[in-house]
Amino acid sequence: MGVRFRQVRKVFPDGTVALDNFSLQFETGEFVVLLGPSGSGKTTACRILAGLEEATGGAVEVDGRDITHLPPRERGMSMVFQNYALYAHKSVFDNIAYPLKVRSTPRGERERKVRDIAAMLRIDELLKRRPRELSGGQAQRVAVARALVWDPKICLMDEPLSNLDALLRLHTRTELKRLHADLGRTFVFVTHDQEEAMTLGTRIAVMSEGRLVQFDSPRNVYHRPVTRFVAEFIGRPAMNTVDGSVRNGLFRAGVIEINADGLPDGPSTLGIRPEHLVVHETAGEGRIPLEVDVVELVEPDTLLFLRGEEVSFVSRVLRDGGDIAPKTTVHVEIPVKYRHWFDASTGIRIDSGTQP
Amino acid sequence: MTRRGITGALFDRGVAPLLLVPAVLLLVVILLGPFLYMTWTSLTDLSFAIPDRDGNFLGFDNYRRLMREDAIFWHSFGLTMKFVAIVVTIEFLLGFAIALLIFRFVERRRLVLTLLLVPMMLAPVAVGLIWKLLLQGDFGMVTYYLRAIGLLDLRDAVLSNADSILPAIMLIDAWQWTPFVTLVMLAGLLSLPREPFEAAVMDGARPLQIFRDVTLPLLRPIIALVLLLRAIDAFKEFDKIFILTGGGPGTATELLSIYVYRLNFKNWDLGYGASAAFMIYLVVLILCAVFYKAVYWREGRPIKVAR
Amino acid sequence: MSRAWRTFAIGVLIAVLVIALIPWVWMLLTSFKTRLDALADVPVWLFKPTFEHYPTVFLDKGYLPLVWNSILVASVTTALSLFFGVPAAYVFARHDFRGKEDLFFFFLTTRMAPPISVVVPMFLLFTMLGITDTPLAVILAHSTFNLSLVVWMMRGFFADIPREIDEAALMDGHSRFGMFARVLVPLAAPGLAATAVLCFILSWNEFLYAFVLVAFEGRTLTVGIPGLVTPHGTLWGQVAAVAIVATLPIIVFSIFVQKHLVRGLTFGAVKG
Repeated sequence: MGVRFRQVRKVFPDGTVALDNFSLQFETGEFVVLLGPSGSGKTTACRILAGLEEATGGAVEVDGRDITHLPPRERGMSMVFQNYALYAHKSVFDNIAYPLKVRSTPRGERERKVRDIAAMLRIDELLKRRPRELSGGQAQRVAVARALVWDPKICLMDEPLSNLDALLRLHTRTELKRLHADLGRTFVFVTHDQEEAMTLGTRIAVMSEGRLVQFDSPRNVYHRPVTRFVAEFIGRPAMNTVDGSVRNGLFRAGVIEINADGLPDGPSTLGIRPEHLVVHETAGEGRIPLEVDVVELVEPDTLLFLRGEEVSFVSRVLRDGGDIAPKTTVHVEIPVKYRHWFDASTGIRIDSGTQP
Repeated sequence: MTRRGITGALFDRGVAPLLLVPAVLLLVVILLGPFLYMTWTSLTDLSFAIPDRDGNFLGFDNYRRLMREDAIFWHSFGLTMKFVAIVVTIEFLLGFAIALLIFRFVERRRLVLTLLLVPMMLAPVAVGLIWKLLLQGDFGMVTYYLRAIGLLDLRDAVLSNADSILPAIMLIDAWQWTPFVTLVMLAGLLSLPREPFEAAVMDGARPLQIFRDVTLPLLRPIIALVLLLRAIDAFKEFDKIFILTGGGPGTATELLSIYVYRLNFKNWDLGYGASAAFMIYLVVLILCAVFYKAVYWREGRPIKVAR
Repeated sequence: MSRAWRTFAIGVLIAVLVIALIPWVWMLLTSFKTRLDALADVPVWLFKPTFEHYPTVFLDKGYLPLVWNSILVASVTTALSLFFGVPAAYVFARHDFRGKEDLFFFFLTTRMAPPISVVVPMFLLFTMLGITDTPLAVILAHSTFNLSLVVWMMRGFFADIPREIDEAALMDGHSRFGMFARVLVPLAAPGLAATAVLCFILSWNEFLYAFVLVAFEGRTLTVGIPGLVTPHGTLWGQVAAVAIVATLPIIVFSIFVQKHLVRGLTFGAVKG
């Protein structure tokens, strides 16, 4: 059954349109990531699902029941906030126990559940402390514990990792993934970090300007982006895109001239991921000569910033490219099976039949 | 440096703390000096009314008399305590309730606040005068309407009846200072972060539970501050009573400050009056210390209400 | 349900506002009433206004100098308090020295000091200095609480300015004094203005010090008020006229400082 947004619209009092005809459906037990740049409406979608904001139009359904106007308390969902929103005046124990307390859970059961979840998140040593005596990572775990202790149907997380430092973020990411596997709950996770989205989600909902652009598995979002926006938003360094035009099955843009069988004549955009470029030191059939501008070592890989007439590329060379010097010329091959084509004006993917 | 004079020099030579000297000096001369002199006087028999009492040292006799023999002092003290307790309670409950209503139901708060602030901006003497007019026995506007709805006897007047006068003064003080509580509590409410409330909503709490478990605890420092400030101020209350009743009828409204005024300026019993005045100062000083330690935190920055 | 609540709440708030405003409005009305209307058994709300009370009390009865005294005392007190208080506040905000917080507490106690406790010895001191019955006496007395108010409020406003601003000013070539006078004070100007207005209001409204320290020449408006109320035959129209002149400017001023009022009246502890 699961969750369903039906053409949800949200306009804030100041006139901002946060969600515009937003539709999305997913199943119980999924780990859904809402991904998008700031202002894309991902947080608003999450808060509408939670009941913290009311939709201006459309409907939200859970297990086939319309919950659009239900107060948050009756939705059976919990939330982990970006800054954790712990109750500063309560101990860690009381913070975690609060959802149970307001639901009149008997004291003994309350105690047991708090201890269980605390053990699971390895914060059982901290139960007597106050929030201000916790590190960022500890506070984050307490917030997660509070959200999971009462067994909600759906757990919402609004950028819960963005206030952690880099190393801790990696670590917590793995833990969340394990937690999801162990508990089998539905998780909805909001983030602007595409790497987080790729690693965590069973499916990723990529959003832009209040609309859903693509909803698919991380693999498909990466390898078959439906628009140029998705292609460029997912993956670091970003996908190389080249605006050019096709005539008689030939795509031209500056120094580039490659086969584009099956594409209609007119302007279009070529996309190729940095790691899919093949860099040769010698010239050859279909290879494009480009000047090496900057070389960056990102161990174990090397990033090459390449320049040619009207075009520039980033290439991720999957080896030690320390022998490639700036200002030299390399010859780049764009393998047919890794080419992405987008409509130049709409940005929508064109399937030319050349992809795998 | 010469062009900027001494002030500039103090800034530049890194001896900036010396800039405090003029301010402190002024306060020491004008306030601390007189206070110390008063403290000394309180140990003497100084009087302007009785010829040979020209400041002979008595030790703690005045205080002994004040504590052990002076029934009027204790009457005044009790009255003042009663006044402070009741007035602060009324003002807090009412002011907080109004603040909650404004917070919850009014979007354009500025106009409402501007109007609400009028009573607390008026000079207390003027407040006393206004209410004296309103409560006149034969033509007072409020008197008339109180009689019209049967709350006041025809022959009675609020200001001359020993039973109704103190409650009346309390209500007048509440009229003037409830807006203060509203203003501060509203500022407190508005400064609260949104997240704990949303967290409580998501945790499933109902409105009353949220108020009890989130709002009140987060507002606690501000509540303490409001109560203390009002208590200090109410304890010093003088102007309104002075003009409304002068402490009468009899000693029915003779709060401590009025009693001290009478000792000094009617009886001209300065030594004894000083000992009573010292007691007021002492109480205010204690309340100040509580305010400073419990509410105000160092570095002179406003308290963080949350987190 | 929630609509009914809303209506109820708005109703209550309107009632609260009416109660808050009517007394002063009644005073305002009374200042334009003839003696007959003012003393009517049944309260008179609509009447033919008379404008005689204002000229009578201020010109014929000589209350005009009291207005000047009030303005003089409040202005000079404000200026004096700012002149000494602002640099002191800066020191509290930016410098550390031994006993700093104790000294700060001393300022608090002077702000809170009950006038009734110190007014007698202050009177004796001023008599010794020969300045009783002059505006200077009241100015000095009012400076005790206003100076402390300035120190407490302005410390907060200075503390709000990031220290990087100081450093940037010094790097830009200002002297420390230039940094204070040309950079920090202008940045704190809104707070400074609010503080000044609040000082003015507090001095203008003060009664006990002024009442005890001046008898004739230096009387301020608040001091003039009790003299108008006599056991028999109080001229309420004239009393009201004085009360209105004593309160109207303050009401207008308070609108200007509304934003910073909370901060001022809570000794900087709560931001409005």
